Amino acid sequence: MSESAKPDVSDYSFEKAVAELESIVARLERGDVALNESIEIYERGEALKKHCEALLSAAENRIEKIRLDRAGKPVGVEPLDSQ
Amino acid sequence: MSTRLYEHPIFLEHITPEGHPERSDRLRSLNIALEHPNFARLERRDAPQANEDAILLAHPEEHLAFVMRSIPDAEDGEGQINQLEADTYASPKSLQAALTGVGGAMAAVDDVFTGAADNVFVASRPPGHHAEKNKAMGFCFFNNAAIAARHAQRTYGAERVAIVDWDVHHGNGTQDIFWDDPSVLFCSTHQMPLYPGSGAKTETGGKGTIVNAPLSPNSGSDHFREAFKSRVLPALDDFRPDLIIISAGFDAHHRDPLAQINLTGEDFDWATGRVLEMADKSAKNRVVSLLEGGYDLEGLAESAGLHILRMMKG
Repeated sequence: MSESAKPDVSDYSFEKAVAELESIVARLERGDVALNESIEIYERGEALKKHCEALLSAAENRIEKIRLDRAGKPVGVEPLDSQ
Repeated sequence: MSTRLYEHPIFLEHITPEGHPERSDRLRSLNIALEHPNFARLERRDAPQANEDAILLAHPEEHLAFVMRSIPDAEDGEGQINQLEADTYASPKSLQAALTGVGGAMAAVDDVFTGAADNVFVASRPPGHHAEKNKAMGFCFFNNAAIAARHAQRTYGAERVAIVDWDVHHGNGTQDIFWDDPSVLFCSTHQMPLYPGSGAKTETGGKGTIVNAPLSPNSGSDHFREAFKSRVLPALDDFRPDLIIISAGFDAHHRDPLAQINLTGEDFDWATGRVLEMADKSAKNRVVSLLEGGYDLEGLAESAGLHILRMMKG
C-alpha cells in the first residue's frame, strides 16, 4: 500500500499513531525508503505527529480542568472538551 | 568567464517508467530555458562517450558488470525497461547515456585544466551522486562527480578536489566513495530526514573531509545560506582545492515535488557565486558542475538557468 493510500490518521489512538510514527522515523533513518516514496512517507509522518500533538494537547487541557476543579469544588473528572 | 556546456541527444533516450520523476522532459525543459539570448555566448558541445574503463576510477568491476547486465536488450524493443532497485530503471540506451554523462564530466575536467574553458556545466542524465562504490540507487548508475574527481587527480595531478553537493537529497554515493580519502573534500547541504537517510552532521569521514549540513524540512533561503556560509564555505577555504566540482541538483527549489526545502532561483545564483569566489581563491577558477536532481520542470529550468548564467558572468 502506498503511504497516501493508508487510512486517515484522525481516528488513531495515541499509541497506534506513535507506533506508526516510530516505524516511519526508523525507516527514514535506516534509509529503507525509496527516493520516490520518501516525501510521501515523510508527509504521513507529519500527519501522525500532528495527530499525536493534538491528542496530547487535549489531554493537557483535561488535566488543567481537573486542577481548576480542585481549587473550587470537590474533585471530579470532567473533560474540558468532550469532542 | 568562458563557460562550456556539454549535452547529448542520448540523454533523452534513457527512458524511465511513466510517472517517474527523473524523466527526459527535465532536459527538454532546460533546453527551452537555454534558448534565451542570455545564453548566446554559452559554448554548447556534444558530450563524448566515456570508455567503460573510466567507470573503474570510482567503482569496482563487479558494479560495472552489474549495470551492464541490467540493461535490457534493444532486440526486446525500445520500450523494454528493467528495474535495478526500488527507484532505478534502465532502458536499452541507458548504458550509453550513463557513459556519455561520465564522458561529459571527464571532458569538463579536461577543459578546465587545459584552459579550454574556465568552467563547465554538464546537462546529463541519469544523475550520479547516489551511486555508491558498489551500488546503483536513487536513479543513479555511476557516480559522475567521483569519476570526474579521480580523473582530475589521475590525469592532471590535482592534489585536492572539492565536491559541493547542494542536491536536496544527501549524496550518499559520493560520501561512500571518498569516506577515507583526505584528498577529496565532500560538502553537502540536504534535507534531513529524507532519502537516503544519511548525511548527519556527525558523519565526517575517516579523515575529516566530509562536511554535512543537513536542513530541516520547510527550511528556506535563510537556513540554506546560513548553512552554506557557516559550514561549506569555511571548509572550502581551509581545504584550498585545485578544482571544485558541483553536484548541482535543483530539487531544493520550492516547487519541487520530492522535497520540502523552499529555495528560489536566486539562492542557486547566490550559491554559485560563492563557489566561484572560492574557485578564484585556490583553483584558478576551475569549476565543473554536473546536473543531479531537480524534478519540477519549471523550477529546474529557472534554477539551472540562473546557475549557468552565474557561471558565465563569474
